[in-house]
Amino acid sequence: MVDTPAPIERPPLRDLILRKGKRTIVGADPQGLIRGFFAANSSVTIIVLALIMIFLLKEGAGFLGTYKHELEIYRRAGLEFCDIVDRPLSEQQELSSKLRRAVTTSVDPIIQGVRARRDAAFLLKREVEEQTKLAREPLAAALEKEPAPAATELDPLRQQVAAATQQAAAKMNVPDVFTADEAKRLRDEFAKLTPEVSDLPPMLMELSAAFTVKDKEAKQKFGPLVDASDELEEAPEELRGVLDELKEEVLATKEAATTHFTLEEGRQKLLKAASKAKDPQEKEDLIKEADASKTDEPNYEESIKPVLERREELIGKVVAYAAAADAAAVNLPKEGGTAEATQLLTEVRAALPLHAKALRDGVESLRTWKQDKPVSIFTVIGAFFFGTSWLTNSSWQDFFGFVPLLVGSVVIALIAIVIATPLSVAAAIYTNQFASDREKEIIKPVIEFIQAIPSVVLGFIGISLVGDLIKEISEVPWLGWLPGFPIQERLNMFNAGCLLALMAVPTMFSLAEDALNNVPQAYIDASDALGATKLQTVFRVIVPAGLSGIAAAILLGLGRVIGETMVVLLVAGNRIAIPDFSGGPGVIFQPAHTLTGIIAQELGEVSRGSAHWQALFMVGIVLFVISLAVNGCARAVVRRFELPKA
Amino acid sequence: MPTDSNPAQPSIVEVKDMDFAYGSKTALHGINLEVERKRVTALIGPSGCGKSTLLRCINRMNDRVTGARIAKGEVRVKGKNIHDADVDLTQLRKQVGMVFQKSNPFPKTIYENVAYGLRVHGEKDGEVIHEAVERALTQAALWDELKDRLQAHALGLSGGQQQRLCIARAIATQPDVLLMDEPCSALDPIATLKIEELIHQLARDYTVIIVTHNMQQAVRVSDYTAFLHLGKLIEFGETERMFDRPKEKLTESYLRGTFS
Repeated sequence: MVDTPAPIERPPLRDLILRKGKRTIVGADPQGLIRGFFAANSSVTIIVLALIMIFLLKEGAGFLGTYKHELEIYRRAGLEFCDIVDRPLSEQQELSSKLRRAVTTSVDPIIQGVRARRDAAFLLKREVEEQTKLAREPLAAALEKEPAPAATELDPLRQQVAAATQQAAAKMNVPDVFTADEAKRLRDEFAKLTPEVSDLPPMLMELSAAFTVKDKEAKQKFGPLVDASDELEEAPEELRGVLDELKEEVLATKEAATTHFTLEEGRQKLLKAASKAKDPQEKEDLIKEADASKTDEPNYEESIKPVLERREELIGKVVAYAAAADAAAVNLPKEGGTAEATQLLTEVRAALPLHAKALRDGVESLRTWKQDKPVSIFTVIGAFFFGTSWLTNSSWQDFFGFVPLLVGSVVIALIAIVIATPLSVAAAIYTNQFASDREKEIIKPVIEFIQAIPSVVLGFIGISLVGDLIKEISEVPWLGWLPGFPIQERLNMFNAGCLLALMAVPTMFSLAEDALNNVPQAYIDASDALGATKLQTVFRVIVPAGLSGIAAAILLGLGRVIGETMVVLLVAGNRIAIPDFSGGPGVIFQPAHTLTGIIAQELGEVSRGSAHWQALFMVGIVLFVISLAVNGCARAVVRRFELPKA
Repeated sequence: MPTDSNPAQPSIVEVKDMDFAYGSKTALHGINLEVERKRVTALIGPSGCGKSTLLRCINRMNDRVTGARIAKGEVRVKGKNIHDADVDLTQLRKQVGMVFQKSNPFPKTIYENVAYGLRVHGEKDGEVIHEAVERALTQAALWDELKDRLQAHALGLSGGQQQRLCIARAIATQPDVLLMDEPCSALDPIATLKIEELIHQLARDYTVIIVTHNMQQAVRVSDYTAFLHLGKLIEFGETERMFDRPKEKLTESYLRGTFS
């Protein structure tokens, strides 16, 4: 190494020039500040997102503990024991009502003629009375006076009533269920109506009697059916009696427990305040107050004893009822008076043995049930994620099962996507490939404008327009073959799906159009040069090449649809139950509730920190995770099938 | 304009006194060109001289550009004016294939890339398609390399392979004329050499018209060369003769590189 004299340290000229005029603000140079400003802005979003997640998790995390505690009381107080019988038994009401409907629809064709005559006559009578109200009221009032007014006072009133009544009877519009003679007789009899006579005119009596006779005749004709219906209705009476008594007992225990825990919570707060209080007097008062509210947790072992003592009695009733249900299935006539009745009977006949079996299966559980079996955390998690009922503010027991909401959300989202995908993708293909510049100028802003419609306004449209439209269409006779037609509810999942599809179209359209736009021109050149027509180029090259982008557009549309709240809250019908899929595709015309809707609807009404409140936060977390997963999938799809940069 | 054409061989592509314009701007002036069957014709000239435009006139690729039109004269392929009303563009492009500057295989399998032309021309018979694919890949010297991975994705091939695949795709429909627009400009020297060899072989079956920036390439691959400058055809003749004894001063200065 050769020692060379160190070169003189001299700042390069460039630095000197740049530093000239450079200022510092509070010790930092402006460039750094500007950079810091932008960095801070981008980090704000990240911090906010992190805070949201922490908050959600904090509120939701308590749920498992709280729900576990509730389920523990549910078991220890014995509500669970009663539900073993009560749950399957609740089906009986539905079956019974089906049978009643079968009876009605069978009997109806026979009696409807006489019933219509009777009802029409009564209606006419009421009309006459209504029209002569002004004349009748003074007379009625005079008649009630004590002592009775003199005849001279009453007569003018009577004459007024008679005149008015005759006039009304003459003007009466008699429907054509009556012959001309009958109409005349009705007019004559009704012309004599007066508040002084409470007996029905003879013709009305006759019509009523005719109806009674016919009704009896009809009921006789379908005697076995009527009997079966009555039997099934009465069959569970004894079982219900026992069960209701037991339910009352266990509910009392549960209420005692709930009261105890509420008071205990208050007491703990008082004690905490006491430990912090500085003034000894205040401290003593607080402790005294706390002691006053001290209660004991109910003795579950003791209070369940009277229930368990009747265990065998209950089992006996269950077995008896199950046998009765089986017998009813056998005795049920095969055919009703109409096709609908026969259909109902078939349904009930198929359901009854299953119903009886469910009850019998419960017997074993009744025997082995123990109140002190611990509730594991997995049971709680399962009760939330796989629970099939979301039941709140119940006088019996709240359940937070999330499946009905999930099913509602998923079905609605799928309907929306199925509708929106062809719409938006086809529109994107047309706009990108076929539309003239002028058409593009119209189509793009219009589709994007849909996004500007507030979702609550779309909700209006769903309620007032789409609902009626779907219902009317479903009642067109020659469309009756479509599944689910004619529909029962105006507000249903299909309706919500239609509107959500409309909301998803702009997002999906824009993204799909971008995807098509990003297809390299080189592919189009190559296809053209090979002699492909425009259509061939579009459908064999451009669309396949843009498919990943289109798939991502669909997924992002799905994300948008899952998270949408207002429309589903207004339009989906908000029935918290798993839709009945047994009817096939017609299920889409049933109402449902959704993950988003339930939060929006219930969060404002629950007390902060309660199990219900926390359950809603859990739903929020799940929703968040679903959205995250959908977005992640969309990104993954795009990355996986990314085209090489042209 | 000096040309040395061979009257014994009928021309397959004839450009007659053609003016070509983009809107009001005339890009090509009075071009006369007769391309001989089953020979390689190179179009050379400085950037912006209209080589590519001329090439794209032959399969009407300029049709898509708004305002682009032939202002005067005509282009004939196999004796037929390609702008006649009864000319089917699809059929014309079946006769006149094209390979682009940058390789542009579709994001499909190798097999589907080659079969694409047949499919868009309505060929449904799998047997016929398969034979055509094999023949095209063989002619493009790709069959031995790729025969075991025909279902692989075309974008997984190397740059040179992709360009040869594009050539195979263009010849699968057995065109009469193959247009090549600087087919080697994005390739490395070895891949370029392979393509040049390929062009030699293709000339046995096809008429090739190639635009190139590289004069050595023009010498190596072409039988005839046309030199364009500022939208005019300056000189057209046998490559060997033109590079040895250019008749025009402009051609000479361009070939010598003393062009200003």
